[in-house]
Amino acid sequence: MSERTTATASSGEQAGRARRAGRRPVRLRTVLLTAVGWLVGLLFVLPYLQMFLTSLKTPSDLTRSPGSYVPSHWQWSNYADVWKGTGVGQALAVSLEVAVASTLVTLLCALPAAYYTARNRFRGRGAFLLLVLVTQMFAPTALVIGIYREMVALNLTDTLLALILVNAAFNLPFCVWILHGYFSSIPRELEEAAFLDGAGRMAALARVTLPISMPGVVTAIVYTFIAAWNEFIVALTVTVSPDRKPLTVVAPSFVTQYQAHWQFLFATSVIAIVPVVILFVFIERYLVGGLTAGSVK
Amino acid sequence: MHDVPDSGDVSPPADAVPGAPRSGAASPAALRALRKLAPLLWLGPSILLIAFVVLWPVVEMARTSLQKITSSGLTQGWNGVRNYSDLFDEDALIPVLLRTVLWVAGVVVVTLLLSLALGQLLNARFPGRRVVRWAVIVPWAASVLMTALIWKWMLDNFSGLVNRALLDLHVIDRPHNWLGDPHQAMLWMMWVAVFVSLPFTSFVILAGLQTIPADVYEAARVDGAGPWRSYFQITLPLLRPAVLIAGIINVINVFNSFPIIYEMTGGGPGNDTDTTTTFMYKLAFSDQHVGESAAMSVINFALVLVMVALYLSFSRWREETR
Amino acid sequence: MKRHLTVAIAAGLTVAVGVSGCSKGSSSSGDGGSDKTIKFVAAIYDDNTKGYWDGLIKDFEAKNSGYKVDLEMVDWTQMDAKVKTYVQTKQVPDVLNYNAFSDFARDGLIYQASDVVSPNTLSDFSPTFVEQAKYNGTQYALPFISSARLMFYNKDLFKKAGISDAPKTWADVKADAQKIKAGGKIGYGLPLGPEEAQAEFYSWAMNNNGGWVDASGKWAIDQQANIDTLNFLKDLNKSGLTQPNPESTDRKTVFNQFAQGRVGMSIGGPFTRAGFIDPVNKNLNYGIAPLPSKAGTEHNTLGVMDILAAFKRNDGKNKEAVRKFLDFFYDKDNTSKFLKLENFLPVTKSAGDALSADPYFKQFVDALPTSKFAPTGNPAWSAVAGAVKQQLGTAVANKDPKAVLGDIQKTAEKAG
Repeated sequence: MSERTTATASSGEQAGRARRAGRRPVRLRTVLLTAVGWLVGLLFVLPYLQMFLTSLKTPSDLTRSPGSYVPSHWQWSNYADVWKGTGVGQALAVSLEVAVASTLVTLLCALPAAYYTARNRFRGRGAFLLLVLVTQMFAPTALVIGIYREMVALNLTDTLLALILVNAAFNLPFCVWILHGYFSSIPRELEEAAFLDGAGRMAALARVTLPISMPGVVTAIVYTFIAAWNEFIVALTVTVSPDRKPLTVVAPSFVTQYQAHWQFLFATSVIAIVPVVILFVFIERYLVGGLTAGSVK
Repeated sequence: MHDVPDSGDVSPPADAVPGAPRSGAASPAALRALRKLAPLLWLGPSILLIAFVVLWPVVEMARTSLQKITSSGLTQGWNGVRNYSDLFDEDALIPVLLRTVLWVAGVVVVTLLLSLALGQLLNARFPGRRVVRWAVIVPWAASVLMTALIWKWMLDNFSGLVNRALLDLHVIDRPHNWLGDPHQAMLWMMWVAVFVSLPFTSFVILAGLQTIPADVYEAARVDGAGPWRSYFQITLPLLRPAVLIAGIINVINVFNSFPIIYEMTGGGPGNDTDTTTTFMYKLAFSDQHVGESAAMSVINFALVLVMVALYLSFSRWREETR
Repeated sequence: MKRHLTVAIAAGLTVAVGVSGCSKGSSSSGDGGSDKTIKFVAAIYDDNTKGYWDGLIKDFEAKNSGYKVDLEMVDWTQMDAKVKTYVQTKQVPDVLNYNAFSDFARDGLIYQASDVVSPNTLSDFSPTFVEQAKYNGTQYALPFISSARLMFYNKDLFKKAGISDAPKTWADVKADAQKIKAGGKIGYGLPLGPEEAQAEFYSWAMNNNGGWVDASGKWAIDQQANIDTLNFLKDLNKSGLTQPNPESTDRKTVFNQFAQGRVGMSIGGPFTRAGFIDPVNKNLNYGIAPLPSKAGTEHNTLGVMDILAAFKRNDGKNKEAVRKFLDFFYDKDNTSKFLKLENFLPVTKSAGDALSADPYFKQFVDALPTSKFAPTGNPAWSAVAGAVKQQLGTAVANKDPKAVLGDIQKTAEKAG
């Protein structure tokens, strides 16, 4: 079963084969690896398991001390309550809109830039790559006061456009780097073959280069999407209206000055996390390939 | 969009590359001019986005740091360097700066070490490896904020599971307030920061591992190298680019990390668990001192620039040694 | 030029991606439109608050045809940031429900009280609160609700420990806490975390003749009486008589434990019963007593007041609608309905006795005349409160009370 699931990179395939060829003390090693592997996996999931269990607890479970491992009564209605009574559905829509739009903007800007810098040498190329690198060093957090003042000046506070632009811009550098690395690793000859066949440059790009670069593109998409989906500080500072707040801002508001509705907070968290985990499960194999190119170049 | 050329020409001619396009020597002047503009067509959107959303706030921030802004939010003209002198007057500033260095160095080093092991594990073959890979990804998929919140809840001094488990194991005999004491709180938050950094880092390492050709190991084995020797002499050097990339991205992410500290301790008690990032935020939104906070972000900005410079000189060194 | 360019790009990007649905919502009245529509930003006190305002506004609009009130509810945790945004973007609401006003008054952003309510309404405010609503001698804010603090104690734990009466002096507090601790419980629940450290501290300091300012109104945060107060609280903590880590504990945690019968004493307010105790344990046997003082002779109580402030907009053209709305709210029936719903104490003479029928609330209403307030009329107060919330708790843990108070004094003087 696991044999089938090896990651895509062909060198990995080879490495695997080589290792299999030289099998020495097989059994114990595999058993040990499996045990350690599963234990590690469990450790990573444990907090989220606890999150899920907490989301099903009753208020009296939550105030018990010391705490309980599992809910005394499985309060599935917490999910219905959180969905109906609060703006969680709305927040989910906001998060989705911001994440999707940011990803699109990033990709639209990063693809041409990465491709062009990978294929051409021109005046200012070095400067551009330096600019990207320097931008990579900044997170919205460090500039939040400036961003806030800028949005005030532009009258963009409390708009999703502000969030989209910020997320798109700050994830751009990583995407440019990953894609730049990927495009560079694709032999120019492949593209030129298509080019000579009469396809235009754009067509060659779309038909040959882009499909081969899929792991890189997927990695860029995922990276941006996740970052935008999880962004907190800019959303916290820039949005004010309830219907423009993403999940990351809505969730903590269940624990306020007077009341601590941990069960609702974590129900919201589970709602926010599940779609992304599913997304990851589908693209995990591309991810390794995509990051490979990025880390080589 | 007519203004586009302006912004592009600003960039200095860093490298006038000789091995340039496959252009024939004699093309009409118009075409040449067009070709000169071509980069802007491709790079324009990126440059504009960066200029608009990243560079503008930098300028705005620097400007704000020199302005007088009242607690109600009105701007009342220039303030000279008063905001900076106020900032340097804060007794908390030096400890916060030192703590930030410790926070970044500690989290990144531990993350890298654990990720090297984790990458190896995820690259090894064992039944269910795929599921384990998925499990390791989960903290990346979950927002840092929510991960911080679940840890905060698990560390709750009255109802938290950490206390419950330690009580059951008789490690402690009464519930302990883990986030109350600044030192313990700091260690726990650093652990959470490591925890959320591991997925990305170990996947970059994993990707790096998969680029190492198998025959290299084969050759080493023939030479009689044991597993440890081949790890330190082959794997690790070949992983250097991956480690470098993961390292710098982590340094940046951890330096800028806000939700963990903001949600778990709020930087408290006092400023005892603040890093420059949360300190800056608190100056603006709880001390109501926007100007001083902007001054803090300018300092922050300078720190990042130093890191960029360090990274650049380090990676240039790398190119030279290749 | 640069700005034009960037705006154009922003617009271009928006169109390109088709995110048309995310522009600013209709920003209501704003420019030149009807001055009969006002925007009211109200704080969320609990789950009932929105329902109350929805009803009141419907009623108001029915009785004043042509006038309209746009309501926006804001959680207290978001309020500060939001108010700042309003001011910076020049999008202030017409009426704001908040806990501070003096910097608005100083910066000329809000109306004087006499401009926006009728003389009848103005004269109905109790003098105690009018004092707190003044900036430089003029009343700007409209008192909205008030609250007071008293000592809550667990009668069962007191009985078990052999204590007959609630503590009157600080020495009593310590002695009682020791007896309760002997029974394995927490003697005194001390919340000095960033949530409301300033209220807890002042509740003790005022009963030692300490406080925020001296007789002339100058900041006197590092005065000896305050240092002594913190030393007393620190001693409670270090003797193990409080819950662990008071510097990072919030009220809701303390009262959650109190409700479960694990805490002997703690300071609470009128909202404590409905907000903290009843949801956890309706059967808790507890009593309420005046705040203990060092000497045990005079007992002051901490008063808290939230306000309404009316912002200047459209060259004063909003004044008429604002006045109509405020006078409507300050009608006796409307105000007392709000107080009953939210468990707060009155600020007007006419709503006065609405709560006194309930013996629980009566104790708080009775305590109001001896109440002392934080200096909210000083524009620097919000900066001071921010610093106190962040720093003060450390004084009972590992820092020197005198140094901590000295730092806060410095912040206060810097802020004005």
